[in-house]
Amino acid sequence: MTSLDKNVKAVKKILTSQDILVFEFVSDGGKKFAAIYADGICNKQLLGELVVKPLRAVKKDDAIEKVRLMLASPEVKDGDKIADAVKEIQDGNAVLFIDGEKDFFILGLKSPPARAVAEPPTQIAVKGPREGFIEEIKTNMGLVRKRIKSPNLQIKTLKSGKQSQTTVALVYIEGVCPKGLPEKIEKEISENKIDLIPDSSYVSAFISNRPRSVFKRCGTAEKPDIFCAKVSEGRVGILVDGSPIALTVPYMIVEDFQTSEDYYSSSYRATTLRIIRFASVLIGIFLPAIYISAQLFKIQLIPYRLLLKISSSVQGIPLSPSIEMFLTLLVLEVLNEASIRMPKYVGLAHSVVGALVLGDTAVQAGIISTPAIIIIAFSAICLYTVPDLVETTTTLRWLFLIVAGSIGPFGVVALTAFLIAYLVSEQSYGVPLLAPFSPLIKGDLYDSMIKANMYSLKRRPEALKSGDKVRLKSANKR
Amino acid sequence: MQISVRQICFILIFYTAVTKFLQYPPLLASYSGRDILFSASISFIVQGVVIWAVAYLSSKTDKTLFELIKDVAGEAAARVIYGFFAAFFLFMTLLPLFEQKLFVHAVFYDTTPSLIVFLPIFFFLVYAGCKGFKNIGRCADVCMPVFILIVAVILAMSFTEVKFSNLLPVLKTPLKDVFGGSLKSAYYFLEPSYLIMFMGHYKYKKGDAAKLTLSYAAAAIIVTLFLALFYGIYAETASSRQFAISKTSLYFSALDLVGRIDLLALYVLEIVMLFALVLNIQLAVHCIVKCSGWDCPEIISLGVNFVLACLLYFFDHKYMAIQSFYADWAWVAVIIFATILPLCAWALRRRKNES
Repeated sequence: MTSLDKNVKAVKKILTSQDILVFEFVSDGGKKFAAIYADGICNKQLLGELVVKPLRAVKKDDAIEKVRLMLASPEVKDGDKIADAVKEIQDGNAVLFIDGEKDFFILGLKSPPARAVAEPPTQIAVKGPREGFIEEIKTNMGLVRKRIKSPNLQIKTLKSGKQSQTTVALVYIEGVCPKGLPEKIEKEISENKIDLIPDSSYVSAFISNRPRSVFKRCGTAEKPDIFCAKVSEGRVGILVDGSPIALTVPYMIVEDFQTSEDYYSSSYRATTLRIIRFASVLIGIFLPAIYISAQLFKIQLIPYRLLLKISSSVQGIPLSPSIEMFLTLLVLEVLNEASIRMPKYVGLAHSVVGALVLGDTAVQAGIISTPAIIIIAFSAICLYTVPDLVETTTTLRWLFLIVAGSIGPFGVVALTAFLIAYLVSEQSYGVPLLAPFSPLIKGDLYDSMIKANMYSLKRRPEALKSGDKVRLKSANKR
Repeated sequence: MQISVRQICFILIFYTAVTKFLQYPPLLASYSGRDILFSASISFIVQGVVIWAVAYLSSKTDKTLFELIKDVAGEAAARVIYGFFAAFFLFMTLLPLFEQKLFVHAVFYDTTPSLIVFLPIFFFLVYAGCKGFKNIGRCADVCMPVFILIVAVILAMSFTEVKFSNLLPVLKTPLKDVFGGSLKSAYYFLEPSYLIMFMGHYKYKKGDAAKLTLSYAAAAIIVTLFLALFYGIYAETASSRQFAISKTSLYFSALDLVGRIDLLALYVLEIVMLFALVLNIQLAVHCIVKCSGWDCPEIISLGVNFVLACLLYFFDHKYMAIQSFYADWAWVAVIIFATILPLCAWALRRRKNES
């Protein structure tokens, strides 16, 4: 048995699946080669063009160094362990064995199926770049490189997932990112041994100090411009192969109230919108609870004329206000869930059934009152002004609704105080979640609820403890 | 450092003010009548001097009170004194807790609910009570803007019906009653005892003593203004108006159109009041940890709150008796723990230098 056969057999002994293909060929000079690759994720055309074709000219007694020089593939690595060969094949690259040689070449021909770069559905911008991350990590890395051409940009890759061996890339700018932070994140990711990493949300759980909390500890970005902006402020970005959602740490809650468009429009407009978003989230969480509290425990909260309207609407409703609100919210959540999951073709019909038949008929039949539907609908719209926080805010809305229906307005106040006491003591990699409000960091307030002019944002956020504090050096004093 | 000077300034402003918005004005009005402002001023001036003294002491030493006592009288003495401080803070939590309960029942509900609706407060008190000075400071950062906004709204709504002439003529009340009002309401003035507890936990910089004292002065101005509004609206009937803050904005004309937004403002202010209430518990837990050496604030907080909940249950409906007990006797504890002991810390420092 030749050395080539031995190597191929050793690989095939481990990779027994039928989609692991072996392409054996002989050069015109009579030298034997075998390329092993995984079908579907390796680019066969490039293998033919950049590897097989040039190697036709190899003579039988040519040394391995000469063979290497004849390869036209731009990404060639040397290998000598079968375990490495197996890993690379699984990753989508091809491995080239040469007869009579123990060593082999790893050819970077990975080309997994990927969709084109497109605008992400949840971070749409009217003004500004429209590119979004996709599931292919190399493309995502390219999108980042395209925007940050600094030699200090570091992309550190590691593997996570015992079975999936998913590539995870830590992206940071050396000198800007706090020292030791990438290593700390790398350690936390490596220490978690799980079978499969299908999405970045898994990694997000690994790097959260409180994974069971309602409040997240990682920022998310679906667009490279947002991602790069966060990285350039001193955060560490995390790209996960197979996920179009990138993560950023440390995280502050205020980040979710900022959108990319805020930085592309005037500061006055951006500030107004941020205040609206903040107010909307508060309204979205508290409005159903306050309405229930008012109806059940403190009727004076409702203006007199509005009270008359409400009382005429709720007259004859068989359900108690809290049960009514609870059911309406439940219907909304069901409709929301179904509209995401159901096929588009039946979606329209179901929307009609949901909105018109359920809503209108329920009101006409006197099962649910109009104010309840208006309040729940408005609350839902309000919460979606900050889509990144929807998971948290919808949970809180349920919580407040239950407390308001059972304990009343004091329950709502006590729960709010509890949440504040909880949030002020929470942090993400040493950065308080409520920064820059608590602890109060004056300089960082310029890009929080208010968005100051670019010339007021000369320094990177102090809360992030960035290595390089200066973001903008302006020649003229503005 | 666990807490910053800015955060202590915030605490001095909002804590001082919110604790005096409920029952302090009617109590003071019952003793001092239209000279309510003089009674309040006496208390503020006396405690303001102590605040300045304690703040200035921080410029001379970076040690905590516990370390100062330990250096001079040994660890056992430090533990005993901290034990007394813990008892003092707990004692001073009880009446505000009753006030909160009655305030909640009166303002948050149309019909008086059972005690049960107030009990969820203990989830908050147990949780927040075991948090350290860092948490206290950060909560102050959140509370301060809320406090400023809400107080501005309530004071603005209160101006419509006020008649400042109700406060005239001044100093017609016998001085005995004016001073008596200050003494009987002394249990609302604990601020120096907080500051002495914070000592050594913040980094003092030049001018901080002035900042802290000015913060207290700012709170004094807010409270005095509120007292003036309160007495200006209710005059002789002020002493019977419980929970003053809920009464001053009652006659704001726009409320008919927009509903009781003053109540919404009060609900938000209640969050600040809860943080002011929990401060006593946090300090009590801190003192017990120091006194016992048992570094388990969670369990201590649970125990402390259990005791408070039991007292709340047993003395439910006995508010007037408790209040008159505090008015008659609590000033002794306040003079010891919020005036004499903080000033004694100076002596501790001096003796240490001599040794």
